[in-house]
Amino acid sequence: MPTNPYLNVSVIAVLTVIFIIASSYGLGALARVVVQLRGATPKIQQNTFAGYFFAAPWIVGFLIFVLIPLGFSLYWSFTDYRIASSAPVKWVGISNYAELLLKDTTFRASLINTLYLTVIGLPLQIGVALFLAVLLNQKMWGEKLFRMAFYLPVILGFNTAVLLCWRLMLNTGTGIINQIIRALSAFFPPFGYLNRAFIFAQEVVAAFFLGLNTGKYNLLNKVIEAGFPADVRVPLWVQSPLWTKMSVVMLMVWGCGTMMLIFLAGLNSIPKELHESAEVDGANGWQRFWKISFPLLTPYLFYNLVVGLIASMQIFEPIFVLYRDNQPIVSSTISMVYYLWQKTFSHFEIGYGSAISWLVLVIIMIVTVIQFKLQDRWVTYDVY
Amino acid sequence: MKQSLYLVKASVLYILLTGATVLMSFPLFWMISSSLKTLAETNSAGIVWIPDQPTLQAYIDIFHNTNFLRSYFNSVFYVTLSMFGTLISIAAVSYAFSRIEWPGRNVVFFLMLSTMMIPAQALIVPQYVFFNKLNWIGTFNPIVIPGYFAGGAAMIFLLRQAMAQIPKELDESAFVDGATHLQVWWEIILPLLKAPLATIATFLFVGLWNSLLTPLMYLQTIDLYTLPVYVSTLYNINQTTQPWPTIMTAAVLTTVPLIGVFFVAQRYILESVVISGLKG
Repeated sequence: MPTNPYLNVSVIAVLTVIFIIASSYGLGALARVVVQLRGATPKIQQNTFAGYFFAAPWIVGFLIFVLIPLGFSLYWSFTDYRIASSAPVKWVGISNYAELLLKDTTFRASLINTLYLTVIGLPLQIGVALFLAVLLNQKMWGEKLFRMAFYLPVILGFNTAVLLCWRLMLNTGTGIINQIIRALSAFFPPFGYLNRAFIFAQEVVAAFFLGLNTGKYNLLNKVIEAGFPADVRVPLWVQSPLWTKMSVVMLMVWGCGTMMLIFLAGLNSIPKELHESAEVDGANGWQRFWKISFPLLTPYLFYNLVVGLIASMQIFEPIFVLYRDNQPIVSSTISMVYYLWQKTFSHFEIGYGSAISWLVLVIIMIVTVIQFKLQDRWVTYDVY
Repeated sequence: MKQSLYLVKASVLYILLTGATVLMSFPLFWMISSSLKTLAETNSAGIVWIPDQPTLQAYIDIFHNTNFLRSYFNSVFYVTLSMFGTLISIAAVSYAFSRIEWPGRNVVFFLMLSTMMIPAQALIVPQYVFFNKLNWIGTFNPIVIPGYFAGGAAMIFLLRQAMAQIPKELDESAFVDGATHLQVWWEIILPLLKAPLATIATFLFVGLWNSLLTPLMYLQTIDLYTLPVYVSTLYNINQTTQPWPTIMTAAVLTTVPLIGVFFVAQRYILESVVISGLKG
């Protein structure tokens, strides 16, 4: 293999293409032989060959990059496999899982942090998305421009560079967000009260979640004892363990554009006549929204909830960029995927990492299945 | 009376929408503004909305920073190489799922859709071991090659939906004229799907350009770093002052291609987000 990295990957890419074409022919031919033996007509034989030929890249990729890796990691999750050590792999039974679920405080912290993101962050994200969608649905001039502006954060999303910009803005002392909060509070005292009320509520909730982590609620008591924050207080975004998760929630809310588009599609699909007849009957806008639009939006809400939950359980980039190596803080915001990355790639504990990834997979499956089971209770599919 | 009520309603609406737009695009504005500041201005205790004397010093410096330039080239290189292979393989697989009847199609299609449930992170550990065995750590291979196997079930689904809408008579008449599946796929079907293909290319581009986790795992040396990995090293938590103008300059230059692509393709993107979401 050439040592030049660019040439190297180009050669490998060409070899991969040759491999894919060869395996496509192979799979197609194999499938044709099978249907031939079953006595299929020449037309069906031909279609079978073509079907498997064209689908082969995915089938082969599924085997190599999904099915076999999943099988291996399931096996490794029951061993003490470490990539760096030369010691033979030892079968340890369920001890990795037992350790994770019963003893490992960091993994428990990552579960509780995820819980915070789904209980506090997801409703905020969905609420803002719905609000923006309702605004955009008024069909006025410039709607397209606004829609673009609201979707752009999704494209920029979790790019490292954009996250670093957030890091700059969230600086406690000199960051622009706190500077604006200070200026507004000085200029307009009611805003200051609002800000301090928000700080108090946020810190109580965050302290409660940190208490869930350790089982001790000293911090919560301290926050409550300290009482209503003094008027110089500003949010401590990326500085205090009480605030790190709220900063991630802000990023989630900022990136609500996809959810907004889904809600917008839902609002567009509601027949105009329903609203018109309700208006004739004297229902005001607020009533019409909750009695007509909202029930018809529940399938879209359900979709956003399922996808949003999966996404919040897979958060990695914000934690990595904002809090990496900041040891005292990282445990207050560590996510399951961040922990997986840490265990596997700084400690090279493949067995333990495999157990984490299987747990994440199982948790996501369970949560999704529960959501599908519960949907009959609140999602409205029949309109008429 | 009714008209003034309407005016009030419209102005409230516009104030809300403009406010939301300002909030949503503020990070972008701040990024550009900070990249034109001096270090003292980025850390100043007062608000500097727009620097009095914008300086391009950070831009000049970064164009002399060979590590940054190389990481930029690396990103462009790997994204291009990966995108083409991914796009063509997705186009092939979508053709199999939409325009050919073959035994097992529904089973394979269902399997493909169900992989959307598997988080990519659940696969990174065994894939890392696999690529380690192949001696691919420290090369671009692990971040380029997997895409060649039609990576991305959501993208396949999106293209399949578009492909299924083309009338069947089109290929049937071509088959009567003696065309092969390969010819129909490449010469008849794909040219009709320029818009969906552009959409998928855009999604792939954005995903690859933003990707942090896998490049971070596999590209171990600074001369292979892609932009997100390199930019993340500019911020060093152990230093008391961060070189913010430099970081924000790098950030602006990183986001320029994203924004450019978004403006060119936004019409298709905004539609297909909804299609891929709702019919899935």
